[in-house]
Amino acid sequence: MTLRRTPELDRLARLHLSRRSLLAASAGLAGAAMLPRGAFALSQDATNAKTGVDPNRFTPETIRQLAGTITVDTAAELHALVPADTAGEVMYWNVGPTEASSAVEKRFYDEFLAAFATYYPNIELQNQNLDYNGMLDTIRTAAEGRAAPAVAKMPILWGVEFAAKGQLQEVTLEEFGLSRELFWEGALKSVTWEDKLYGIPTNNETMAFIWNRALFEQAGLPPDQPPATWADVVRYSKQIKDETGKNGYGMVAKENAGNTPFRYMPMLWAYGGSALDEAEENPTYQTSMINTEGGIAALQNFYDMYVTDRSVPTSALTNTQVENQDLFMAGELAMMIAHPSEYAAIRDRAAKATGQDKARAEEIVANMVYGLIPEGPVRRAVVFGGSNIHIMTEEVHGGPIDRDAARALIAAQTYPEWSLKNAWAGSNPANLRGFETEWMKQRLDEIRFLENTTSMLPYGIPFPVVPQSTEIMNVIVPQMIQNALTETLSVEDAANDAAEQINALAVRA
Amino acid sequence: MALADSRALIAPKPRPGRRPPGLFATIVRRRTDYLYVLPAILVMLVVIGYPLVSTVFLSFFEITSSGERVATGVDNYQRILTDRRVNFWKITGNTLYWTVGSTFFATVLGFGAALVLHRRFPGRGVVRAILLIPWVISHVAAAYVWRWILHSDYGLLGGSLVAWGALDQTPVLLDSKANVMPTLIAVNVWKEFPFVMIMLTAGLQTVPEGLLRAARIDGANIWNQFRHVTLPHLKGVVLITTLLLFVTNLNSFTLVWLMTGGGPANASALWITQIYKLAFVGSPQRGLASAFSVILFLIMLGLGYFYVRALTRGNPDQGAA
Repeated sequence: MTLRRTPELDRLARLHLSRRSLLAASAGLAGAAMLPRGAFALSQDATNAKTGVDPNRFTPETIRQLAGTITVDTAAELHALVPADTAGEVMYWNVGPTEASSAVEKRFYDEFLAAFATYYPNIELQNQNLDYNGMLDTIRTAAEGRAAPAVAKMPILWGVEFAAKGQLQEVTLEEFGLSRELFWEGALKSVTWEDKLYGIPTNNETMAFIWNRALFEQAGLPPDQPPATWADVVRYSKQIKDETGKNGYGMVAKENAGNTPFRYMPMLWAYGGSALDEAEENPTYQTSMINTEGGIAALQNFYDMYVTDRSVPTSALTNTQVENQDLFMAGELAMMIAHPSEYAAIRDRAAKATGQDKARAEEIVANMVYGLIPEGPVRRAVVFGGSNIHIMTEEVHGGPIDRDAARALIAAQTYPEWSLKNAWAGSNPANLRGFETEWMKQRLDEIRFLENTTSMLPYGIPFPVVPQSTEIMNVIVPQMIQNALTETLSVEDAANDAAEQINALAVRA
Repeated sequence: MALADSRALIAPKPRPGRRPPGLFATIVRRRTDYLYVLPAILVMLVVIGYPLVSTVFLSFFEITSSGERVATGVDNYQRILTDRRVNFWKITGNTLYWTVGSTFFATVLGFGAALVLHRRFPGRGVVRAILLIPWVISHVAAAYVWRWILHSDYGLLGGSLVAWGALDQTPVLLDSKANVMPTLIAVNVWKEFPFVMIMLTAGLQTVPEGLLRAARIDGANIWNQFRHVTLPHLKGVVLITTLLLFVTNLNSFTLVWLMTGGGPANASALWITQIYKLAFVGSPQRGLASAFSVILFLIMLGLGYFYVRALTRGNPDQGAA
């Protein structure tokens, strides 16, 4: 068997990898060279087991075939569960669209509220749309102060913390007229704590890779090919900076911002590292693997791009993805990890631009391309994200919760129509029946590049389902990156420091 | 001299051989005064007293991820002072740098502005109104506007400097460990100097014109008038304003939190931002955050003592109460 030299191997070798791990990585890559589609079979199988996504059922082709095969009557289905004349009230907090969201996301958000009022005219829905980066702190404080909402829709990472604290009510799928086979297993795992279910998934997604074809061309790179590996991303980023003066890769390293782990973990996992051991076949969530050789190699990539090559936005330390979207739209950034919704958002903003800005923005939209997130020496990976909806306990709500009203709301959010429409531009319906509806057909026609993010689904890895996940992902991981990028600690020390913190957290728990 | 004499006339002389009245007797004698302040004291007990007691209590516990309270004695206090991840000493350094820098420059700038505005010139009212704008703007709005102005990649400041040819590259301010604190202090000074300006403008109006005229007749130049007449009159106002500003800056949160979140790599973390992070961000460590708050409270209490002393100096009756 001939060993093929690749940038990953070069990089790992530079980092003085152990002979054994180098051989393992080499073997994997050699296999990849010989069997292009089977190369990641082992790790891919493991990924499927994590998310429950059947790669044969959820391909762009099969999704297109599934779409439009059923017709649903949402009102009838809901009223079979909770009668239409049910009266009551429910306080509902959620992370809804922001100014940066696409028009279609905002429209469906408003339409859901209007539709719910027609399904249940006697249920008063007290809806509150909170910012992603502010809702977690707000809901924690509200829960401590016995003022939490009755129902909350939270990003996939958060729920387990509240479940572990006993602040969520246990639920069953049956009480909402649902069953396990309607959801991906990974989605249900994210709402399971100590074998009990504490919520219902509303949407699940994986992101993809987006690039500006024109900037690639100007930099002398193949305009229609995304970087195949993370080592290519580093190389492309530098070449783009050197040749065009524009930023190459859209790095995000802000602390306490959900965007950071969603954009760092894919590379970390691709190199064989992980925050705990969530990328392994049978994770135990006991020990950190963030400072393994692969983990250090991944962090080294970030260091190279930010410090050595200066090929990424300087503001990466304080930026969220929203600011990167601005830079991308201004033609100042060439590539980044993105939701499919970012195409819709950027297209909307281009439509609103005026004068010279408009021409420039439209040119960017025309040159936007989506592809798969690059792979690393060990696997291709992406965060299996999404949201879940939960009922808080009466204790933290500070009073009785109208269970019927809550059930009506949760059912409305998780039945095929709104599970799909509320995920229109940026995600997928968690209720798999959503894929079969006529609206899915419409969505496939309307939302460009959806097939790229769908193609990433089989590579999804969920965040560790432990209460400390938010601290690990929103604080420790970004701090590690910041420590390395500001040279407060060396790359290796920053990774070791993060591992020490994660392990201490596991012990304290 | 005349003032001292008049006080001597008003204050009751202690009778020789008689013990001064005790605390209880004083309270009974002044019961009406106490009744007047009773509602305020009750409100304070509810909104300050209860949280204070609760915070001190919590500081001796650790709250686990399942929400249980585990008594830890003084471990939290020990951790704050010794755990390198809590970063107490580095953050204390940052806080002092921020507080002293902001207070000093805001005072100097505010004093200068007050002296300029004390002189009569056409458009004085308009200039005063314009200078007041930073103080009137909310901290949140100011933080977002300044973040945009100072953004490392598309900031208005950097972009303009590059466009005018003054710099080759946009300056890295908020994303640089070295530059972030001076930058934040500059923004804070911009926000706070109007407060000093207003306080000292009011103070300047109390300087007796007669004394200044007399000094001028005696041949004092502008500097000597300022040094020997104006400044001694303003000493009290300057002291109180500076102390107020000092305490406000020690308690700063909004501007720093919204502009940098205490980053990059904790380079701009202050006491209050760190307490907030410990209490609400990641896996909340309420016990640790409470212990941090208690330490901060004790420091503030010390400063408060000096503030009250400065406020009541020369008025022993107020001080005694």
